[in-house]
Amino acid sequence: MRVVANLQVCQGHARCEDLCPEIFSTDAVEGKVVIEHPEFGPELEEKVRLAVRNCPEGALRIAKGGAA
Amino acid sequence: MTLQWSPSPPDHVPAELIVDFDFFQAPEGLNDPVQIWHDLVRRGVPPIFYTPRNGGHWVFLKYSDIVEGYRNHEIFSTYQTPIPPIEPFPVMQPQGVDPPEHNVFRKLLAPMFTPLAVRRMTEGLQHRAQTMISSFADKGGCDFIADYASRFPTGTFLDLFGLPEERLPEFLALSEVFFRSTDPDARAQNLNDIYAVLEELFREKDRNPGSDIASAIVTARDENGQQHPWQDILNCGFLLFVAGLDTVTNTMAYVWRYLASTPQARAEFRDRLDDPTAFQLAIEELMRINAVSNIYRRVTHDCEYKGIQFRRNDRVILSNTLANRDPSVFEDPQTINLDRQVNNHVTFGVGPHRCMGSHLAKREIMISLQEWLRQIPDFELAEDQEQGSIFGGSVMGFTSLKLRW
Ligand code: HEM
Ligand code: SF4
Repeated sequence: MRVVANLQVCQGHARCEDLCPEIFSTDAVEGKVVIEHPEFGPELEEKVRLAVRNCPEGALRIAKGGAA
Repeated sequence: MTLQWSPSPPDHVPAELIVDFDFFQAPEGLNDPVQIWHDLVRRGVPPIFYTPRNGGHWVFLKYSDIVEGYRNHEIFSTYQTPIPPIEPFPVMQPQGVDPPEHNVFRKLLAPMFTPLAVRRMTEGLQHRAQTMISSFADKGGCDFIADYASRFPTGTFLDLFGLPEERLPEFLALSEVFFRSTDPDARAQNLNDIYAVLEELFREKDRNPGSDIASAIVTARDENGQQHPWQDILNCGFLLFVAGLDTVTNTMAYVWRYLASTPQARAEFRDRLDDPTAFQLAIEELMRINAVSNIYRRVTHDCEYKGIQFRRNDRVILSNTLANRDPSVFEDPQTINLDRQVNNHVTFGVGPHRCMGSHLAKREIMISLQEWLRQIPDFELAEDQEQGSIFGGSVMGFTSLKLRW
């Protein structure tokens, strides 16, 4: 599975980074989300979903399948 | 009985949407200022209503309306918003400017407040917390506001601005008047004093820049390679003073007040001392339940919004504590659940003006609590609390909170 961010909407709350640092971090300039490895396996699914649901801006989305 | 208002409410507001509500006034006998707002919900008032108090303003009660209010800057502007109205009011950078211009100062400040930048402050914050707490840990009690909650964020502010610790008493005195005084003359003088201090600070940093935030603001260049307008620089310093002191003080007051009266919660946090992730999750729930800010907006043009007539310059209040306890969004919203899994609270706002200091604020609170629990694992509310020590307004909180151990 794959998680994608809409940077137009992200305001840098970093709730995603707090909840799932394996996938999410924030950049050092604007403080917006960085997803270095958007693909994740079943072992992280629960954490990623929790991060997605906790984004106050609704900036994160899980895309089915490999491609965007 | 119909209340008689003077001056009468504006004629675009229908009578059924008028409610008598003063968000500065804590009803007698109340010992928790957020109840000023939750009482309203219990009164069963309309979800969007108008009160003629404090110059007249609208109130949104629902999470969804509050969040939309934050996001819709085309209707709800942050420019010149004080309630009751004061005009002209300093155009605070970046908070008092609407997108897209607002992005100039927001971008300038952003690198200094990212989670990464804030993590680098950890040691300094720990040192400050340890030193301050150990100065009274063996005394058996303290006034949490005077002895800790106002000093800690003010000391942090000095540090961020590259000012020496010796100036703490001066800054505490300035903020005491700024946040608490209701005397118009004292307030006007205080504003002059604050701007004089900022003027001197930025002049000095302009000559001798260091690695602090004030230097970064004053040495930043706009897209034409010019320094930003001097007034904007001062107003940005002013905003950081306004935004980062009283908010942290009163959030801390709420957190410690809750822990002082809830032994299981203290135990729960002590158990998490070696597990920063679990500690942080629990702090997030305390952020939700203790939302001290009520945020102002100004309507930009006459319009109909959600079936209601709004007029240009109408004021609106977005109350974060109401949003954070909306039962349509939060399960069992009045209950503090330190393991709450989904927690989209708006304590730090949402949308373009989302609090830039949220990571710093949370770290200040987290580190303070960790150090406190290490030195003072058990504490409770003292019996002799001062009467009348709570206040409402744009930031709600306490002027005194006596603890003992
Ligand atoms: C618990 C403590 C805090 C709370 C509850 C809080 C709350 C808020 C809220 C609700 C906003 C949104 C204002 C709006 O939409 O008009 C805001 C904005 C802001 N806050 Fe905080 N804040 C806190 C601490 C801090 C600290 C420590 C700093 C910095 C030192 C800070 C800096 C800012 C700035 C710069 C903005 C304006 C951002 C913009 O307009 O783009 N805040 N804060
Ligand atoms: S939680 Fe949402 S808004 Fe915040 S950094 Fe992550 S993606 Fe961005």
